[in-house]
Formats: sequence, structure tokens, C-alpha cells
Amino acid sequence: MADHHVVIDNLVKTYPGAQKPSVDHVSFSLPRGEMLALLGPSGCGKTTILRMIAGLIAPTSGAIRLEGKDVSSIAVYKRNMGMVFQAYALFPHMTVAQNISFGLEMRKVGRAEREERVRKALDLVKLTGLGDRKVSQLSGGQQQRAAIARSLVIEPELLLLDEPLSNLDAKLRDEMRDEIRDIQARTGVTAIFVTHDQDEALSMADRLAVMSAGRLEQVGTPREIFDRPQTEFVASFIGAGTFFEGQVAEPGLAVVEGLKSLRFVGEAPVGSTVKLMIRPHRLVLADSAGQPNSFTGTVEHIVYRGQILTLNIRCGGRLLQADLPTHAGVLPEKGDEVTLAVAAQDVTLVGQVAP
Amino acid sequence: MQSNPLLGRFAWNTLIALLYLFLLAPIIVVFIISFDTRQYLAFPPESFSFGSYVKVFQNVKFISAFWRSLIIGAIVGLVAVSAGMLLSLSLVRHHFRGKAAVNFLILAPFLVPHIVLAVGIMLVIAPLGLLDSYPGIVLAHLGITIPYTVRTITMSLMAVDTRIEEAALVHGASPRMVFWRITLPLVRPGLIAGGVIAFLISFDEATISLFIVSVKASTLPTEIYHYLEYSTDPQIAALSVVLILISVGVVMVVEKLIGLRKAL
Amino acid sequence: MSAAALPAAETSPANASRGILLMLLLPGLIALVITFLLPLIWLLRASFASSTMGALSGGDWTVQSYSTVLFDPFYWRVAWNTLVLGFNVAIFAVILSYPIALFLARTESRFRGVLTALAVAPLLTSSVVRTYGWMVILGDRGVINSTLQSLSLTGGVIRLTNNSLGATVALIEILMPYAILAMLSGFGRLNTQLEEAAAMLGANRLRVFTRIILPLSAPGVLTAALLVFVLAISSFVTPRLMGGGRVFVLGTEVFNEATVTLNWPLAAALSVMLLILFSSIILLYQRALRALET
Repeated sequence: MADHHVVIDNLVKTYPGAQKPSVDHVSFSLPRGEMLALLGPSGCGKTTILRMIAGLIAPTSGAIRLEGKDVSSIAVYKRNMGMVFQAYALFPHMTVAQNISFGLEMRKVGRAEREERVRKALDLVKLTGLGDRKVSQLSGGQQQRAAIARSLVIEPELLLLDEPLSNLDAKLRDEMRDEIRDIQARTGVTAIFVTHDQDEALSMADRLAVMSAGRLEQVGTPREIFDRPQTEFVASFIGAGTFFEGQVAEPGLAVVEGLKSLRFVGEAPVGSTVKLMIRPHRLVLADSAGQPNSFTGTVEHIVYRGQILTLNIRCGGRLLQADLPTHAGVLPEKGDEVTLAVAAQDVTLVGQVAP
Repeated sequence: MQSNPLLGRFAWNTLIALLYLFLLAPIIVVFIISFDTRQYLAFPPESFSFGSYVKVFQNVKFISAFWRSLIIGAIVGLVAVSAGMLLSLSLVRHHFRGKAAVNFLILAPFLVPHIVLAVGIMLVIAPLGLLDSYPGIVLAHLGITIPYTVRTITMSLMAVDTRIEEAALVHGASPRMVFWRITLPLVRPGLIAGGVIAFLISFDEATISLFIVSVKASTLPTEIYHYLEYSTDPQIAALSVVLILISVGVVMVVEKLIGLRKAL
Repeated sequence: MSAAALPAAETSPANASRGILLMLLLPGLIALVITFLLPLIWLLRASFASSTMGALSGGDWTVQSYSTVLFDPFYWRVAWNTLVLGFNVAIFAVILSYPIALFLARTESRFRGVLTALAVAPLLTSSVVRTYGWMVILGDRGVINSTLQSLSLTGGVIRLTNNSLGATVALIEILMPYAILAMLSGFGRLNTQLEEAAAMLGANRLRVFTRIILPLSAPGVLTAALLVFVLAISSFVTPRLMGGGRVFVLGTEVFNEATVTLNWPLAAALSVMLLILFSSIILLYQRALRALET
């Protein structure tokens, strides 16, 4: 971690007059060339972290290290960051080329070199030939590209993106998602982006940092975050799932009220109370009610979603959500009694209370 | 209100047209009379000519007062815009104790009758020897114009997304650079609108000016006022048309830049 | 997050940002103190000075000017004239402006912008010029008299200037744009959908007007009346020129004492009286507005 390109070390931000810190001892790091998503609900402090890294606001305590050097006391305009703002914040009184050229001008780059680099940046974001357009003449997607070009042309230490896709319509969003990923990979720039959209985070980032109420909940690859959420918040914020609370009767086995026992994978002392979670798509139709980790109940509600069928099953006084593939033979109907089973490794331990 | 909607509509539109006629009557009449050939005030004009205009442009008193008004108005406009820009920046972009008091002080001149201000300003600048001087009249006009420049500039400034300034900062512009390259160009409509309104208020102002100036720094409105005390000949009409045209120019500039209703 | 000020200010030490703030505030505040605050304080002080000719005498305090104002019946008449002028101008300006404001607030014409500018623009032409226009219209050989005579409707000249009638008419027109502007901002809550809703519920046009439009526009009308009234009672250029020296209101007397008689303490005392009148009217207005809104 110490030799990582970007290290965020125990960052705290408490706004004057606020009771609780907006950002509470957050630490994470990125190797060079990685793309990290800061994910969380609005107000969780993710944008505050981004703005502290950019230098737009000062941290209350903690350090932001680039190549091992603390930059938190360096003025914003000397930090050499690139930032794509949520609504792009393009300069409305300048052309596209002037927007992109602005950072180079501030760095006193000569005119000839400036023109050359602006041209290359325009090519990179596929805006070739649109340099003379006014900002207002660009579509939403083109403005997005111009904003990316403006922040990359200065060859920043770090590229910061604040909710980069939130201002685009659904179709454009998918296109730009791939595009941003592609540009980041080609330039090899280290990047951090902020989002509240789990799909966006899972599909674009190398790793995710999930936040809640100013605290960092979990950092990991998309797969780790989705399949092995370590906290109840992460488990409920990302993807759907059914939660159970139970008493550990023996290692790997918990007794859940109103159900039989549930086998799970994970370390929890006997006698402790655990929180367990099952993803809907991990449940499968079972033949008999006898086998372990199976649930029998009545189908209460069905939603047909094309490739999958979402069932709400009333089982021992609780509601269980299951996603079944629609090609799985005979599908249950509303009112049917069904039995579902789950493998022990798909029952995730997301929290525990010591006895 | 009436049984025939078409007739009602016609009556309503006629009423509005008549009220507009009343509102614009003095301006229309001044325009017509300015082309009269006679030496004295009478209506309707007998024949049309530009004689009154020629006379106005030969009247040394009016011409020199015109230039003085122009210079005073220009200085007032520039100073009011500069002070207004700084005040607006502090009000829109900073949080500080006493902001409400500052806001009140800026808006208060709207609430005090000009004639009361006039007597007060006269009392203040008389011991300084500034009566009937350029600095005196410029000072007198600043108090009543700064509220307008603050208003137009504040409106423009609030419309500027602070993220645009932040984008400039992040990409390497120092705060000074951000001001000159981003903020200032973006509030230019408010600056120009405020400037021309301040200029026009100063250029047209008669009440306060009449208390402050007499001969050396007399402005065009005070000269016209004193002339009208004795004579109402068409020369004044020609001069008035010139003043009205300047107003129309200003109105069009302001309307185009930020909308007249918002500025007043 | 958006509450952050110019971010550079936050990263730099606190006293530096205080320095910047001071730099921003000082020029404007100094100008306003010299041209606004100081004059009002001086005015108050001068109104208690003794009335030696021309200049202010030293440190003595006297209520001489106030007693002159309060015990001379002439000034009581002047105050009465001022109030009458103010009320007449306010009432007629509001009545004449109301249809225009209503029209501008409701019209969907594409000339709306131009028509609004046309109604408001006279504000930006010198009141001296517009007063002159009314001298031309109402003068002895002006538009009205010459028209009446050419139609042989009257034998002699009807006196429309050099009296308070001329001053009142001219002030009504000169202050109408203020009334229109005040009403337009007050009419924001009016919209044609409300009227349509009332009509669909069975109200005829008269009842739509009395039950919907009038109550909703009342605050705007009140504001307009106040604005015109306070501007009318403090005017002096128009009453002086239209009155030809025969109309005596507070404004003309203040000007007379300040520039002709050179009794500055008396001018100051009259101004203070005017200011008190002004403030009490505004206080009354705020009471009335609150009553309207509850």
C-alpha cells in the first residue's frame, strides 16, 4: 500500500458547526493506472472526498499522498489534477478548443504545442474537427467528451470524475460508460470516480470503495463486493437479497427463527448472533423439502422479466426473494407451493454480534 | 362582464391603447413639437423643420452642459460598476457577520426620498468646498446608482455556476486568473447593464443635482430646468428628443442584456 | 457542498480571506457611507442648528427650526397640500396603471416584451423632459387648449398649468411606470388557469374579477399605491415647473429654503419631517399588507 500511486490516509472532514464529521477517518489507496469507484448513497461523503483530493476543500485532518508526497497543503491550482464535473462545468464563453486549451495556457505551454495537444485530445475523445464549436452547440454526450478532454490534456496526476454519467440519458450512458473506461485504459491515467449507481460502479471500476454516512464500509473488486459483502450495508446497498438473523448453534450452522437451520460459510463463534444474506439468483428449485438449506413456501407475487422470473415467496412468516432463469423447465405460478434450496457458500455472513 | 365577448374584447383593447397613449403622450408631443418652426410654444406645429435642432447645437450653454453630463455620467457609471462588482462578490461569494447590515445599507437608498438625500449630501459636501464641482456631483450620484449596479451584477453573479470557477481552479488557474478569465467575462452582461443604467440615472438626474450644482458643474437636466422656469420654446423639445434617444439606446442595451424588468 | 465559497479562500489562512473580504467591501461601503449614511446624520444634526444664514454654525443645539415648522400655519398648509397631492396622484396612478399591469401580466402576445418595455421605459427618461412634455400638452397654447379652441368648444383659455391640477396630472403620468412595475411583480400569483378554473366552476366574468383577480392582485396594488404616494410627496421638479411657483408642497419648500433663502437648518428640519411622514406611511403599509395576507 505504501508504494501505491495514490494513498488516502485517515482523511477527516468536519464542516464548521456540524455535529458529526462528513468524512470520518477514510483510508484507501490506488496503484498506478487503476480506476476506483467511490460508491454510496447521496450525502455519504463521497463527493466531499473527491473535492478534498482535488484541493477544492481542505481536510480537517489526514493526508492525501501522491507518490508518497503529501499534497493536502498544496493549493488547488498547483496540484495538477484533472476533474470532470457532474454538469461538466465547461466555460460557456469559450469554444471547445479554448476550453481544452485553458489548462495548458495556465501552465504557460507555448501556442504551437498547445494547438497540437488540443488536437490530439479532441481525437482521443472523438471530437475531431469540433474544436471551433461553441459549448452550447454540443450535445450532452459531446459536452461530456469535451470535459474529459479538458481534464486529460494537462496530463494530470489523477483524473477525478464526479457522477460523470448522471446527466446523460439511458442509451448515451451505456455508450459513455464504455468510452470512459476505454479512454482511461488507453491513457493509463489513475482515476477516481464518484457515483451512487451500483451498475455504473460495478461495470466501470477496477475496484470499489463503498461508503455510508461518512465511513468507508468496504473496498474490493466488483466481484468481492457483490459476492462477499462484509457489512450489512454493503450487502443491502449493492444488489438485492434476503436477510436472516440467527443464532450460531455449531460452526457454520445457524438457527433461524421460524425456519430450519441454515448452513453458511464464515467464521462466527458458537452462541453469537449472525446476520446472513442470500442473493435472489442463488436460490434454485429443489425436488424435496428434506434437504438442508431448503425453504418451502407459497408464491405470493410473480414478476416476469424476460430472462428471469422474480418470485416473492412467503415462507415461515417471512418474504423470500428468488430470481429463477426462465428456461428452467416448468415455472411456478402464483399460489403454488415451491421448495427452494441454496448452497452453503452462497449464504453470506454480513455481520455478527458477539454473545 | 358583458354579453358580447367580441365587443368586450374590443373595449378592453381600446382602453389599454388609450392608457398607453396617456403614458407616452409627453414623449410623443415633445417629439412632434421639436420640428416646429416657430419661436414660441404652440400646438399643432405650423410647418416642420430642423431649426430647433440647429439652435440647440449652437447653444453653447446646452452643449457644454451636455458634455459635462456625459463625463459625469461616465465617471459615475465606471465607479458604481467597480464598487458594485466588489460588493456583489462579497455578498454572493462570501459569508460574514454583518452581511444583513451591508445588504440593508445597499438597499436603503431605494427607500429614502431623493430630495431628503439631496439636502443631506449638500450639507456634507458644502464644508468640503465640493458644491458645484465634479467630485461633488459624482459623489452625490454614487449613492443612488450603486444599489442598481449591485442589483444587476448580483443577478449575473448568482447565475454563474461556481463549479465553472472550480473547474478553472482545478485545471491550474490561480484565483486571480479565475477572476479575470472566467468570472469577469461571465458577469459582463450584468456589468454593462448596471453601468449604462448608472450612467443614465446620473445623466437624467435633476433633483439631487439641483441642490449640488449651479454654474461650473451644471448638468443638462439642471440647465433645462432653469431654462424652463422662464421659457418653454421648441428648442427644449429638440434637446429633449436627444435625451430621449439616449434613453431609448440604454433601454435597448439593458433589455437585450438582462431584461429591463429585472434591472429596474 | 455548493455552499463552499471561492475555494481558494478556504485553503488559505483565515485572515487572508478576511483581508480579501475587506478589500471587496471597503470601496462600496465608503461610497455609501459618504453619500448616504453621513448625509442623513448631518441632516439630523443640521435640523437642530440655529438658522444663521448660509453656513452651519458651530456646536449649538436648538429646536428653533422645528418650532418654525410646527407653529407657522403656512407649513401646515404646505403639509396638507403635499398630502392631498400625494393621495390624488397615488389613487389615479393606480387606477390608470391597473389595466395595463393586468394586461401585461395576462397577455400571451408575442409583443409582450416590447409592450412591457414601452410601459416601463419612461422611467429611464428624465422627469424634466417628461414634465416639459406636459407643459406642452397642458399649456395655455398647448395641445388641449388649441384643440378645444379649434373645435370652438371653449371661448377662452382653460388654465391647466401653473396650478396643482397640472402638477397632479403630470405626476400621475410620470409615476405610472413605477406603479406598473410594482403591480407586475405583485401579480406573479395570477394566472389564467385560476380564472379558467373559476369559470368552469360557474363564475361569470364579473365574479371571476371580484372573487379571483381582485383579491390576488390586492398586495401588488397596495405596493404600487405606496410607492407612488411616497415618490409624489417627495417630488419637487414637477410641482415646481408645472405649478409655476404657485404650488407649495414640502419638496418645493425644501428646495426654496436650501437654495434661495439659504436657511439650511429649516431645509433640514423640513426634510426630517418629510422623512418621518415617509417612514410612517411605510409602517402603515406593512401593517396593511400583513392584514391583507392573513
